[in-house]
Amino acid sequence: MKTTNFKIALILLVVMTIGFSFTAIEKVTVKGSDTMVILSQKWAEVYMKKHPEATIQVTGGGSGVGLAALINGSTDIANSSRPIKPTELEKLKARYNTLGVEIPCAKDGISIYINKTNGVSELTVKQIGQIFAGQITNWKQVGGVDAGIKLYGRESSSGTFVYFKDNVVKTDYSPSCQTLPGTAAIVNAVKKDKFGIGYGGAAYAEGVKDCKVKKDDKSPAYAPTAETIKNKTYPISRYLYMYLKSKPTGQTKAFIDWILSPEGQSIIAGVGYFPVK
Amino acid sequence: MKKIVLAVLLLGAFAAKAQEVKNDTIKTVSIDSLKQIVDEHSMKFSGLDERLSTSDAILDKLSKIKISGYIQAQYEMYDNWSADGSQHGVAPSSGAPLSTNTFYIRRARVKFTYEALDGVKFVLQPNFEVHQVTLKDAYVQLNDRWLKTFSLWVGQFNRPTYEIEYSSSSREFAERTLMTRTIYPTERDQGAKLEADFSTNFNFPLKVQVAVLNGNFGEGALANQAKDVDNGKDLMARAVYSFKLPSKGLGIDFGGHTYLGNTTVIAQTNPVTVFKDVNNNSFTPIVGDKMKKELFGAEMQVYYDFLGGMSLKGEYIRGTYSGTTNTAQVNSLFNANKVRNVEGYYLSLVKNVGKSNVASLRYDVFDPNTKLSGDAVKTKDDLKYNNWTFAWQYFFDENIKIMACYVMPINETSLNAGVDYKQDKRDNIFTLRLQAKF
Repeated sequence: MKTTNFKIALILLVVMTIGFSFTAIEKVTVKGSDTMVILSQKWAEVYMKKHPEATIQVTGGGSGVGLAALINGSTDIANSSRPIKPTELEKLKARYNTLGVEIPCAKDGISIYINKTNGVSELTVKQIGQIFAGQITNWKQVGGVDAGIKLYGRESSSGTFVYFKDNVVKTDYSPSCQTLPGTAAIVNAVKKDKFGIGYGGAAYAEGVKDCKVKKDDKSPAYAPTAETIKNKTYPISRYLYMYLKSKPTGQTKAFIDWILSPEGQSIIAGVGYFPVK
Repeated sequence: MKKIVLAVLLLGAFAAKAQEVKNDTIKTVSIDSLKQIVDEHSMKFSGLDERLSTSDAILDKLSKIKISGYIQAQYEMYDNWSADGSQHGVAPSSGAPLSTNTFYIRRARVKFTYEALDGVKFVLQPNFEVHQVTLKDAYVQLNDRWLKTFSLWVGQFNRPTYEIEYSSSSREFAERTLMTRTIYPTERDQGAKLEADFSTNFNFPLKVQVAVLNGNFGEGALANQAKDVDNGKDLMARAVYSFKLPSKGLGIDFGGHTYLGNTTVIAQTNPVTVFKDVNNNSFTPIVGDKMKKELFGAEMQVYYDFLGGMSLKGEYIRGTYSGTTNTAQVNSLFNANKVRNVEGYYLSLVKNVGKSNVASLRYDVFDPNTKLSGDAVKTKDDLKYNNWTFAWQYFFDENIKIMACYVMPINETSLNAGVDYKQDKRDNIFTLRLQAKF
């Protein structure tokens, strides 16, 4: 009896091993930038409809989280709204012996959200930086009413946090800046707070006012529109990237090729971003 | 029939019970009482807000502390034989019987990093051993906040060479090369280092490091390493340029480093200690004499995205090295009163196999005395070594990896350097390591 059970277990083990080997579904995991989540989910949704055999799993968490997951091997694609840092590249070299693969897949403008009732409608990049650094603390200093400015920003794992800090704030964020776990949360906070100001992807600006931005005192002010982001007149615009540890193969390659094809790029505008091609 | 009767009785009972309930009444609530309730809730929210702000402030401070670390537990087998085959194994400590295998906790380290402000970092890394706790890294790092290019390190940190700065937890082989272990013992030193990384702000991939060091760390008794023992400071400098061809999946880092220092004679013995110069001639220094410790190195690392990642890494170092057996200064791998011209290099090939495996091969050479060879070598410490190392790593998950590593040291032979070295000594080592990193 024992021998029979053993034989059955052995046969089952062999069958299961062979079965799993052949039925393994190639799942592509995408993780990272919250700014890119909506876009990435849309890409995955359309792609999976066209290719029912493919499984694409998309999650957010922030660019830093995505790149960390790429380095530790828990994701195939890292979405990032900022370029990879030298320290992250060194970790990629140490673990995978490659420089990684950087794929710019869309363009985005970082909107400055203010409450619809706020009288201020345009700011220079310098003023925005000073506001988020805590050097300008009252709306009247930038032509508004006499009221304190309430700051809303992202967590440090966010690529938007890093990009905005490096390119606009250029120093530490003010300690009074309230960090929120996603762009949607920032929009929501500014919507409710008439003296609030926040930043995030242009695609999320619903129910709030997009503040026009001037490169400097003498430049004209531009709102983040398709036109101004494409022709780079809107001063706070950037690329959105996908990072891989090495050249893609199989289902991952097919998915990326499709994203960069005219069909994949045509989806971008519908989500509020701008194609790279 | 019984069931129907029971059901009727139960229904009757519920109906009777229901009739006992009084009709609901609408209470009149005054505006004042509503205002009071709203005020109470408002005060509660204010209290919660205040508590949340306090918690946020604490959390903000805590989020500036990062804790990481790793443990390397391993099983080692020594295929180490005396020349006549009478003895097998190595002595784990002086006077202990020979052993051919052992379990061993190679590393148990926790690294604390506290980033108080943007640009100010405190790093503390103790190493826990079975019999002691030693301090590995302890430094303050100040990053320039304006150009985002320069950083000043003060304290105890890795000496700036590629092999040393490449973390033991990432390394593809069980140990660093014999060359690095000999000329830069324990990897670290105390001093100040200025780093300039022009890639962040200037998009120019050049990194320059200049360090002023005590020059005696890793040498002599642990208590003597707390401060400089000879008053003289050593200088170390390194520059690395990174060249990239992303379309080809190719990256090349190349550079060089130098170490300019001395071994100072800090005490003389009675009878006097006689030293040997680079030609193995005797000389007797006096207290205060400085013997050269000057090294020049070149390095290159090539990364190529070929079927999932591959790298070829190499370093070449040559120069003059000196040592003494004075207990305050002795380097256990260069344990003699001598000055020597030394030379060494290594080449390692690392290939990723799929997502979870890495195969590695390394050839390294170290000649602790380039002026003598063959039978002219009179002590085993002057023998040149050519070592082959093979390793396989399996990454179980993001935290755990398993490494199997086999080292085959091949020594230069000499009829005059001891009976064991008339032929290649059998001294291979196999290591099976489990590493957990967090």
